[in-house]
Amino acid sequence: MSLQTLDKQDAPSLMSKVISACLHTREITLLLMILGIVVVMSFVTPYFLSASNFRAVAVGMTPTAIIVIGMAILLASGGFDLSVGSVMALSSTVVALLLLAGVPIPVAVVLGLVLGAVAGLANGILITVIGINPLVATLGTMSIARGIALVLTEGFSVSSLPPAFGYIGKASLFGIPLLVILTLSLIVLFDLAVRHTRFFRQIYFIGANEKAAMLSGIAVNRVRIIAYILTGTLAALAGVLLASRLMSGTPTAGNALELQVLAAAVIGGASLRGGEGTILGAFLGVVFVALINNAMTMLAVSIYWQMIVIGAVLVCAVALDMLVRRQSA
Amino acid sequence: MSKKTPLIELQTVSKSFGSNKVINHVDFELLPGEIHALVGENGAGKSTCLGMMYGLHQPDAGSISLSGKKTVIDNPAHAQNLGIGCVFQELSLAGGLSVAENIFAGHAPATFGIVDWKKLRRRAETLLGEFNLSIDVTAPVDKLPISTRQVVEIAKALSLNSRVILLDEPTSALTPDEVDALFTILRDLTRRGIGIIYVSHHMSEIFSIADRVTVLRDGRKISTHKTSETSENEVVTEMIGGHVPASVKHASDAIGDVFLEAEALSFPGVFEDISLTLRSGEIVGLAGLMGSRRSVIAKALAGLFTARDGVLKIKGAPVDLRSLSGAMKAGIGYVPEERKTDGLFLDHSVRDNLVAASLKKHTTHGIFSTASARQATQNAIERFSVKAASQDTNIRFLSGGNQQKIMLAKWLETEPDILIIDEPTKGVDVGAKFQIHDELRKKAADGMAVLVVSSDFPELATLTDRIIVVREGRLVGEIGAEMATDDSILNLAAGVEAAPQNTLHEVERSAIQ
Repeated sequence: MSLQTLDKQDAPSLMSKVISACLHTREITLLLMILGIVVVMSFVTPYFLSASNFRAVAVGMTPTAIIVIGMAILLASGGFDLSVGSVMALSSTVVALLLLAGVPIPVAVVLGLVLGAVAGLANGILITVIGINPLVATLGTMSIARGIALVLTEGFSVSSLPPAFGYIGKASLFGIPLLVILTLSLIVLFDLAVRHTRFFRQIYFIGANEKAAMLSGIAVNRVRIIAYILTGTLAALAGVLLASRLMSGTPTAGNALELQVLAAAVIGGASLRGGEGTILGAFLGVVFVALINNAMTMLAVSIYWQMIVIGAVLVCAVALDMLVRRQSA
Repeated sequence: MSKKTPLIELQTVSKSFGSNKVINHVDFELLPGEIHALVGENGAGKSTCLGMMYGLHQPDAGSISLSGKKTVIDNPAHAQNLGIGCVFQELSLAGGLSVAENIFAGHAPATFGIVDWKKLRRRAETLLGEFNLSIDVTAPVDKLPISTRQVVEIAKALSLNSRVILLDEPTSALTPDEVDALFTILRDLTRRGIGIIYVSHHMSEIFSIADRVTVLRDGRKISTHKTSETSENEVVTEMIGGHVPASVKHASDAIGDVFLEAEALSFPGVFEDISLTLRSGEIVGLAGLMGSRRSVIAKALAGLFTARDGVLKIKGAPVDLRSLSGAMKAGIGYVPEERKTDGLFLDHSVRDNLVAASLKKHTTHGIFSTASARQATQNAIERFSVKAASQDTNIRFLSGGNQQKIMLAKWLETEPDILIIDEPTKGVDVGAKFQIHDELRKKAADGMAVLVVSSDFPELATLTDRIIVVREGRLVGEIGAEMATDDSILNLAAGVEAAPQNTLHEVERSAIQ
C-alpha cells in the first residue's frame, strides 16, 4: 500500500544509494576504512604490506576474533559478558596444568572447553533464572575465574608442555597459520548461522523486545543461556589455542580483553541496546582495531597514545551511528 | 449453539496480584466458530483474563479447560502449541527485522534449523494478501506506518494456525477500510470453526462482529449476552455499573484568560501546523488514534519535545521550552501516559513519589524536611482516598488506580497553572476513574487550564469542554462538549483514508529522551 508510493516518491539515484548503503551498512563502512588504512600505510612504510607483518597481525587477533563471535551474539540478544578474558586465561592454565599432570592432549582440550561452557552456563543462570544484571553477574564471574587461574598457578605461567600440544598453534597451511584458518572458518560458520538459522534469529527478537519475544512463544531464557554457554566455550577455545601458540598457560592472559572485544563489536555495528549487529561486522571491528594498533606501532606511536586513539575511535563510531540514525528518523 | 464443547473455558477462575484481586470467580467460554467479545472498563480484568488463556498468568483458583479437558497453560510458547494465538494491544514487533520474519517470529519455516527465506516470504505474502495489502515483506517493520504494523501483528497470530485467537484492541490503529478487511477475515476464520475472543472499547465494532458479549466489572463477570438480544446501552450500563456519567458533564462557566497558546507548531515528519489555545478553567481534550502523534504534541507543549517551527505562548508571552524543568517554571505540569516506566519510582515509597516533582517546596536553606513531605503526603492520601498500608510503602504494591492518583497528586503538588495529562485513567478501576475526573473538574473550576490527552473517546466526551482531534500529526477538527460522542470523535480521528507515515516509533521514542 503505502510503501510502494514511498519508494516512487524518492527514488534515489544510484550514487546516493551507494553512499547511503555505505553509511547504513556498517560492514561496508568498515571494509572501506580498513582498505584505507592498508593503502595509506603501504605508502608510509614498506614493512606494513609484508607477509610477516600480516601474519603477525592475523595471529595476534585470533583470540579477540574468536571471542567476539560470542560477544556479538550476546549483544544482539541484549546481554554481554565481561568474564571472557578471565575464562580464556583460566582455560589456558587449566589445560596446561592437566597436560603437565599427564592427561592426554585431546582429553585436556575437551576439559578446557567444558570448563568454559560451565562458566557460560553459570553466567546464563545468574542472569536469566536468578535475574542478576549482566554487568554485575559477569563482573563477578570475571573476578572469580581470574582468581581461580591465579590460585591454581600462584600467579606463574605454566610451561614445559608436551611439544605435540604446540602443533595447532604453530602449524601453517599453504603459508597461512592454522590458527587464522580456524578463526576465519568459525567466523564464516557463525555469521551464516546467525543469518540463516531459526535458533539464532531468535536472539534478534529477544534483543529488540524481550517481552514481545516471550509473547511470541520464544523460550527467552533457554536461548539466552545457550548464548552464554557458547560465549564461554569460545572464550575457552581462545584460551586453549593461546596456550598452544605460546606453549604455556598464562593466568594473566587476556587482561582487559573483554573491553577490547566489546569495543570491537560495537565498532562493528553491535549495540548495547540489543537487537542488532552481525558476526561479520564484529569481526571487521576486530580487524579494524588490530590494524590501527599495528599501524601506530609501525609509526612508533607510544602504547599510551594508542589507547587514546582506540577510545576515540570507539566513541566516534557510536556517535556517528547515532547521528546517521537521527538523520534518517 | 447448545451442545458444542467450548474450545476454551474459564471455570470460576480468580487471580490476585499482591493484595489486589483482579479476577474474582469468573466463568467464560468460547465456542467453535464463535466471536465472543469481552468488554469492561480499564482495570475490569480483561487483560488478565486474556493473560490466563495465553499462559502469562496462572489462576489462583478455578481451572481452564481446552475442548473439555482441564489444562494448565504454562507459558505463551505452550499456549501456541495448544493452538492459542494472541494479538496484544501493544505492538510486539522487532523493528529492525523484516515483516516476513516478524510474522513468523521464532517459527520461521526451516529445514534442519536453517530458515527457508523463500517459503517465509511466500507465506507472509499470502497472509498479508488476505488484507489486500501489497507490502514489501522484506522491508524492516520500523519503516511501516503504525496501522500496517498492526496488520502485521494480526497476521502473526494467524500464522500459527490457531484454533483460538485472542484479540486485544486489534483495531486501535486501523483505518475503517482495514477494519472491514479484518472483519471479513475474522468471519472467514469462524467458518473454519476457529473461535475468537475480541476485546474492544468500541461498542459499534462489537455489535457488528461479535456473536456474544461478556461484561466484566471490577474483576467480576456481570453478564453474557447474545449481541442480537442486547443493546449497546445495556452493555455500557453494565460495564460502568449503573452510573450514568453523562450527567456529570463539565460546566464551562468559569472559563477565563488564555493560559497557553500554540501557534503553528511544526516538526516536519512528526506534526505540522498545530495551533491551539487553553484557557483558565477549561478542560480540553486532545484526541487521536494510535499514530496520531497526540502524545508527541502534548510533549511539545510541555517542553519534552522541541518543535522546529511555531510559537508557544504562556499567558501571552512567547516561551522557548527546552526541558520539562523549564516548562515547570513557566507553570506547566505534565502527567505522562506510562505510569510504570515514565511516571513513578516503583521501588520508592508513596511519599518519595508524591514529592518527587516538588522537592523545593519541602526544602528550607537546603535542608529537606521529611515532616513537611509527610504532611503533604497525608493530605494527598486523604483527599484522593488512596488505599496504601502506609506512606512508606513502596508504590509498586499499590493498585493501578491508587498509583495513578498519587501520580496526579504529585503534579498537583507543583501547583501548575496548566496541567497536561496523558491518558489520565489508563488501566484504573471505575472508582478511581471517577475520582480522578472529579479532581480535574475541581482544579479547572479553581482556574487551572487542563489538557487531557486520550484515546479513550467516551472519557473525553464526558470529561472535557471541547475536544481537539488530531490525525497523523495534524489538527483535523474540534468538537464542542454538546456534540461530543464516542462515535463523533472516532469518525473524525479515523478519517477516511490514511496517508503513509514514516518511522513514527523512532520519533516517539526519541521524544521521551
